[in-house]
Amino acid sequence: MKENKPTLTEKLIAQAPNPDVHIIPGSTAEMVYREKKARSKTEHLWNVPDMFKSVGMIIAATLLGHGFWKLGMSEANIIMVYILGVLITAVITTHQIYSLIASVVSVIVFNFFFTEPRYTLTAYEKDYPITFITMFIAAFLTGSLAIRLKRQAKQAAQAAYRTKILFDTNQLLEGVREREEIVTVTATQLMKLMNRDMLISLAENDALEPPKFFSVSGETDCVEYLTENERAVAFWVYKNNKHAGATTDTLSDAKCLYLSIRTSNAVYGVVGIVIQDKPLDAFENSILLSILGECALALENEKNAREKAEAALVAQKEQLRANLLRSISHDLRTPLTSISGNASNLLSNGEKFDAETKQQLYSDIYDDSMWLINLVENLLSVTRIEEGQLNIRMQVESLDEIITEALQHISRKKVEHRIVFRTSEDFILVKADARLIVQVIINIVDNAIKYTQKNSEIVITTKKKQDKALVCIADNGPGIPDDRKASVFEMFYSGAKSIADSRRSLGLGLPLCKSIVTAHGGKLELTDNTPQGAIFTFSLPTEEVDLVE
Amino acid sequence: MNKTLILIVEDDRPVQNLMTTTLKAHDYRYLTAANGEAAILEVSSHNPDIVLLDLGLPDMDGIEVIKKIRTWSNVPIIIISARSEDSDKVEALDAGADDYLTKPFSVEELLARLRVTERRLAAGQGEQQTASSVFVNGKLRVDYSAGCAYLEGEELHLTPIEYKLLCLLSKNVGKVLTHTFITQNIWGHSWENDVASLRVFMATLRKKLEQNSDSVQYIQTHVGVGYRMLKVE
Repeated sequence: MKENKPTLTEKLIAQAPNPDVHIIPGSTAEMVYREKKARSKTEHLWNVPDMFKSVGMIIAATLLGHGFWKLGMSEANIIMVYILGVLITAVITTHQIYSLIASVVSVIVFNFFFTEPRYTLTAYEKDYPITFITMFIAAFLTGSLAIRLKRQAKQAAQAAYRTKILFDTNQLLEGVREREEIVTVTATQLMKLMNRDMLISLAENDALEPPKFFSVSGETDCVEYLTENERAVAFWVYKNNKHAGATTDTLSDAKCLYLSIRTSNAVYGVVGIVIQDKPLDAFENSILLSILGECALALENEKNAREKAEAALVAQKEQLRANLLRSISHDLRTPLTSISGNASNLLSNGEKFDAETKQQLYSDIYDDSMWLINLVENLLSVTRIEEGQLNIRMQVESLDEIITEALQHISRKKVEHRIVFRTSEDFILVKADARLIVQVIINIVDNAIKYTQKNSEIVITTKKKQDKALVCIADNGPGIPDDRKASVFEMFYSGAKSIADSRRSLGLGLPLCKSIVTAHGGKLELTDNTPQGAIFTFSLPTEEVDLVE
Repeated sequence: MNKTLILIVEDDRPVQNLMTTTLKAHDYRYLTAANGEAAILEVSSHNPDIVLLDLGLPDMDGIEVIKKIRTWSNVPIIIISARSEDSDKVEALDAGADDYLTKPFSVEELLARLRVTERRLAAGQGEQQTASSVFVNGKLRVDYSAGCAYLEGEELHLTPIEYKLLCLLSKNVGKVLTHTFITQNIWGHSWENDVASLRVFMATLRKKLEQNSDSVQYIQTHVGVGYRMLKVE
C-alpha cells in the first residue's frame, strides 16, 4: 500500500517543504580533478620547443668546444663554453628543470667527448671527478641565478603593470562621486585587465539592485547571465561574503564567478565575471581582488559622503526649525495682544463704546484670529514637509477639485478682489497631496490679495503640458521687481514694508509653497504679467488612469 | 420658531460656549455633554434631532461614540475634528457619521451644515426617501425602477457607472460619502486605481448634472475625504 505508507524521502520532503539540495562531490570526482590538474602541469613542463632549445644548446656548445679543442685550447675554455650553454638554456626555456638537466648532460657530454680516453664515459686523470662536480655546480648555479633573475624581472614587470592599473583605477575612482560612475570605472578597468564580460550589482537596503552588464565587445544581450539561478548565486555571495559560482566549489554550475565588493566593514555589491571555460589565473585573480578592494573603498567613501550630507541636511533643518520657532513666538505675540486686549476692552468697558467702535474691535479680533488660523495651517504643512515623504500622501486627484476647494478657503478679503478660475478643456488628474496643494494655492492667492490694490484681478488657469499640469496664478498688481524675485522664496522674507499688513507677514507662505511643489517633483516659478503684475506658475505630475468599468 | 433639538458634545468649554451661543442666537434648542459617556446617555434619553460630536473626547474615542449610537439610532451626527485628525475624519464617516466640520470653523459654516441636515430630515425622513422608487432633488429626478435620470425633464445620458454613482449619492443625499465607501459600493473593492477612476467618473457625471456654470451645484467635493450630494430647494 504505497499510498498509505510514505517513503522516507516523502517524509523528509513533508518535514522540510523547501529543501536545498547540495551535491557534495565524492572521491571520484576529486580524483578526476586532481589528475587533470596534474596532467596539465606536466604538459606545461615538458613542452617541445623548450626541449629542442635545450638539446640545440648542448649540441652548439659541443660543436664550439670541439672547435676549441681542435685549436688546442685548454679544457677550461671548453668547460666555460658548456657553462655558457647552460646559462643560455636557462634564459630561453621556461622551467628550471631544463637548466638542471642541461647541467648534468653537459658534464656527461664533456666527459664523453673531451676527456681522455675520448668517446668513453670514463676518465683517467684523478682530478676529473672534481672538475666534473665543479663544472656541474657552476653550470647549475649560473642557470638557477639566471632563472631567478628572469623570474624577478617578470615579476617586476607584472608588478609594475599591476601597480599602473591599480594606480589608474585609484585615480579614476577618486575623480568620481556617483555610485553608477564608480561601478562603470571599475568595470572598465577590469575589462581592460582581463578582457572579460562582467555584471555588477550594488547592494541597497539589504538587497541587490538589478545588475549592470558590461561587455568587452559592446554587446548588450546578457539574458543568459540574468537567470534566477545566476541572481541567486549573486545574492548568496552578497549574504555570505564569499566568492562562489563558476570555477569555485560553491554553486559551481553558475555561468559567472561571483565575488563580493567589500571592505572590512561591509559588502557593497557583487561582481560576476563571465568565465566561459577560461578560469582566472593567479595574477588576474589577485589584481581583480585589489581593484574590487579599491571599488569597495570608493563605494564606502561615497556612502560616508552621502551620510555626511544627510547629517548636514538634518542640521540645516534643525536650524531652520529653530529660526522658525523664534520667529513665530515673536510674531504670535502681536495678534495675540490685539485679540486679548480687544476682548478685554469689550468685556470691561463694552457698554461705553459706540456701535462703530465695537464693530471695529470685533473686526480686529476676527482678522487677527484668522491670521493665526492661517499661520497654524502653514506651520502644520511645514512640519509635514519637514518630516519628509512619509507624511506626504500622494493620491490621484482632480486638479479642478483641488482649486475649487482652495478657493473656498481664501480669506474674506477676496470680496475686494476679483478672483477668476478658468479651467482647462482637458480633465486633468494629478498625483498630489491634495491638502498641501490646497495650501499652496491659498498662500499664493492670499499673497496676491495682500500685495495688490483693491479691485485687482487674480486669474487662475490650468493647462496640461506633456506629463505636467501647470497652474498659473496671475494678478495685475504692481508686480515684483526682478531683484526681489529670488528672495520672495526665502524664509522670513516679507515684501515692501509700506503695505499696512506687512507686519503680519511671517514670510513663510511662498517658501513653503516652493518646498511643497518641489516635494511633488514640480517647479514653482515667478514671472511678470503684462502689462503689469506677477504670475506664479507651478507644475505637478499628471496621472493617466485606466478606468475601472 | 425653530424647534430642532441639537446635542453638543464638546469638552472644551470656550468652543462649547461658542456653539451654544450660536445656536441660541438662531433659535435652536440644545443639550450639552462634555464626554462620551454623557453623550450616549443624552442621545438615549432625549433623542436629539442632530448630534454635533467632537472627536477628541477625554474619556473615549469619538468613533466609539458613533458606533455605540449607531447600534440603535440613525440620528444625524456631524463630527467636529481638528485638522490633524484628517484620517480619523474618514474613519468616523465610515463608522456612520453624516458630515464633518474642521476646527477652526466659522459660525456660518456650522449653521450651514445644520441647515443641510435639517433640510434632509424635513425632506424625507431619510428611509422613506430611499424606499420610494423616485428621487427628486431640485431639477434632478432619478427613477430607480426605470433606471433613468432626468434633469429639467430631459433624460440624462449616463454610463452605467455614472448612473450607479448617481444612485449611491442620491440614496445618501446630504451625507458625506468617503472614497472608500463609494468605491466599495461601485466596484466591490477599494484600490488606488478605483479612487482615480472615481474622480474621472465623478467629473463626467458632474459635467452632465451641472451643465451651465450658473446652475445649482448638486455634488460637493470634500478634498481628501469624499463626495456628497447636496439637497437643493
